[in-house]
Amino acid sequence: MTQQVPGPEMTTGQKFYVREVLQGLWITLKHTVRNVLNADENFTIIDYPDVKKVMPERYKGAHRLTTRPDGKVKCVACMMCAQICPAKCITIEAGEDPDDPVEKYPVQFQIDMLRCIYCGFCVEACPKDAIRMDTGIYEINGFTRQDLIHDKAYMKDLKAGKKPLAEDWYREHPEDAPPGYDVKAPKLREGY
Amino acid sequence: MPTVKVNGIEVEVAPGTNMIEAARQAGVDIPHYCYHPHLPVAGNCRMCLVDVEAGGRGPDIACNMQARDGLAIRTDTDNVKRMRRSVMEFLLVNHPLDCPICDQAGECRLQDYYMEHGQHHSRLADEKITRTKRQDIGDLIILDADRCIACSRCVRFSDEVTKTGELRLFNRTDHTEIGVFPGTRLSHHYQGCLADICPVGALTNKDFRFQKRSWYLRAEPSVCDRCATGCNIDVDHDHGEVFRYRPRRNDAVNKSWMCDFGRLSYKRLAAEDRILTARGPEGAEGVDAVLAGLAAAVDAAARDHGDGSVGLVLGTRATNEANWAMLRALRAAVPGARVFLVEGNDPDAFDYTDDLLVHADKNPNTAGVRLIAEADGAVGDAEALRAALADGGLRLLLVLADDVLARLGEVRRPEALAFFGTWANATSEAARWVLPLAAAQEVEGSFTNFQGRVQRLQPAIPAAGDSRPGQVLAAGLARALGEDALPAGAAGVFHDLAANVPAFFGLSLAGLGAEGALVHREPPTEQVAPPDTRPAP
Ligand code: SF4
Ligand code: SF4
Ligand code: SF4
Ligand code: SF4
Ligand code: FES
Repeated sequence: MTQQVPGPEMTTGQKFYVREVLQGLWITLKHTVRNVLNADENFTIIDYPDVKKVMPERYKGAHRLTTRPDGKVKCVACMMCAQICPAKCITIEAGEDPDDPVEKYPVQFQIDMLRCIYCGFCVEACPKDAIRMDTGIYEINGFTRQDLIHDKAYMKDLKAGKKPLAEDWYREHPEDAPPGYDVKAPKLREGY
Repeated sequence: MPTVKVNGIEVEVAPGTNMIEAARQAGVDIPHYCYHPHLPVAGNCRMCLVDVEAGGRGPDIACNMQARDGLAIRTDTDNVKRMRRSVMEFLLVNHPLDCPICDQAGECRLQDYYMEHGQHHSRLADEKITRTKRQDIGDLIILDADRCIACSRCVRFSDEVTKTGELRLFNRTDHTEIGVFPGTRLSHHYQGCLADICPVGALTNKDFRFQKRSWYLRAEPSVCDRCATGCNIDVDHDHGEVFRYRPRRNDAVNKSWMCDFGRLSYKRLAAEDRILTARGPEGAEGVDAVLAGLAAAVDAAARDHGDGSVGLVLGTRATNEANWAMLRALRAAVPGARVFLVEGNDPDAFDYTDDLLVHADKNPNTAGVRLIAEADGAVGDAEALRAALADGGLRLLLVLADDVLARLGEVRRPEALAFFGTWANATSEAARWVLPLAAAQEVEGSFTNFQGRVQRLQPAIPAAGDSRPGQVLAAGLARALGEDALPAGAAGVFHDLAANVPAFFGLSLAGLGAEGALVHREPPTEQVAPPDTRPAP
């Protein structure tokens, strides 16, 4: 049963919320003016999509299937990830590899990225460290729904880096750099 | 009847009961690997160690301890817990922990008992001893000797049940390795049972290999329909898609076993040749439209040529209810219709018989249909049908489930044929009306096996396509013929059957129970010992 928690007593004046609303607007206005006056310091403008933001190391991006030294995926199609996935968006078809001592492998491995909620449970559940979300890729987009079903071929050793990092881009295109950006001593804020 | 105590709970058990079973009756579960209720006791896994409080000396293994008056055991002492943990640690010392690729995962005793009784950390500092993995030792079995815990269940099964003796534990101590004799393979037709009884993933089913992780499957009870024995089965399915059959224990019929032919027959549920839609002279139509067309033809034939021009062949492959409902429907509308029963095996029956389970009669309900025919008193046999067809008096023949044309061989075909069946065959090819009959695993009803044991069927999965249970098709036909007052539903039809067929007096569908119920008479069809088809050892 839900419980009603009594709030603080309010005076008649407070009940109209006029002062509170104006107070809130004032805070927003204050920050806007302060930011505009010190634009160089407070904004980092990235010319996306020419330039890409580099995400923090622990950012959960698109999934990657890790590989063994012999180039095959580490995944053994144990279905632990598919089992734990709260969005039920992982589809795996298991098969037998007669030449591989590991015996079992995923013939197909698909993640429906439209349904994925990026919880990372699949990574946690995997007993083989076969799936990771460490690519830093946040541009998970496509022109059709089918494009957004990532399959084994796409996810195998998926790496970020199709787009240059901001530093590399500004070195070659100084004209694109944000005002006040020193190409020789880049001081983009951490994470950019 | 000895009275024993398990954890202070007193139970009275049958003489000769061992303490694992006695504890089960007291509601106490004693973990075990090597003990199996249908195999001789070996006592080598030591998982069932219990403390003996009174009436003996302990600790001792429960599987080899016979119940006797005054015996009292405890399974909840610290000592027992320690022993179980130690046994688990010992069994897992060299275990490969293949769980991610092991088909047994999810139904593995090592996993279950580790979580319940083990929970230790491995203290093994040396290299694990490994044994040969992935050995193809039979048509249905892959052996991974590395996962074996040397419980010897499979050895006892092949020695005592199939009596083929292909499996042995070779070498000793840490190097014990399960295997077949060099150059040989499993040769019997109960291989699937080895995968069932192996408590770990050493013997796994080749057909099921990597098809599905076991925890996605739901088991629904049913009965195998491939021979007159009627082995009890569990239908393991995932949202209606069947992945395997497993034997379900019934000590009066199949114990814990079933043959490989029956085991693999789950594939027939989704086979290419399933009849999924109704077909009339104009091609595919709805079931009701085809039944209406058939009813019109029955009416016309009876009107123009007399009742005797309409015939029905009862189906040894259909349920008691389907047969009874069809018989009632036709007899109500066309009282003089001629009814036949053609015994024999269809061409799609498998060609193997033994004295363990597989009966020579490959139809699940011959005994039941015989009893119905007997009670009716006017059911002709194959010869009568042949004669009726030869003189041309029989113009319209309704056939239930069996491939009657193939069973009869060369005969003069009737003018018009209607087939109520599950799979396409010679009779369905020749039929003008074909109606889709749901498979045994999809319907409510009952089969009577060769012992005269009536066993209940419950729908394990939804009926495929447009197919319907026989009693539903019969009711549709009766309605189309203008007969509305017949009993409906499987339970209703069975009730009517039990009121009219003496052998079924007093039975009810819901009251059949887990073991089924015998009909009232001497079991008529004693199995004849067939020639020994097993290769010489
Ligand atoms: S991140 Fe979560 S929702 Fe997405 S695939 Fe993994 S488990 Fe499923
Ligand atoms: S949990 Fe890991 S090994 Fe198992 S199926 Fe998923 S990715 Fe593959
Ligand atoms: S036998 Fe059991 S414990 Fe061993 S690998 Fe298979 S599932 Fe895991
Ligand atoms: S293969 Fe299985 S059944 Fe046979 S001894 Fe080993 S663990 Fe027991
Ligand atoms: S079950 Fe008793 S020793 Fe194995």
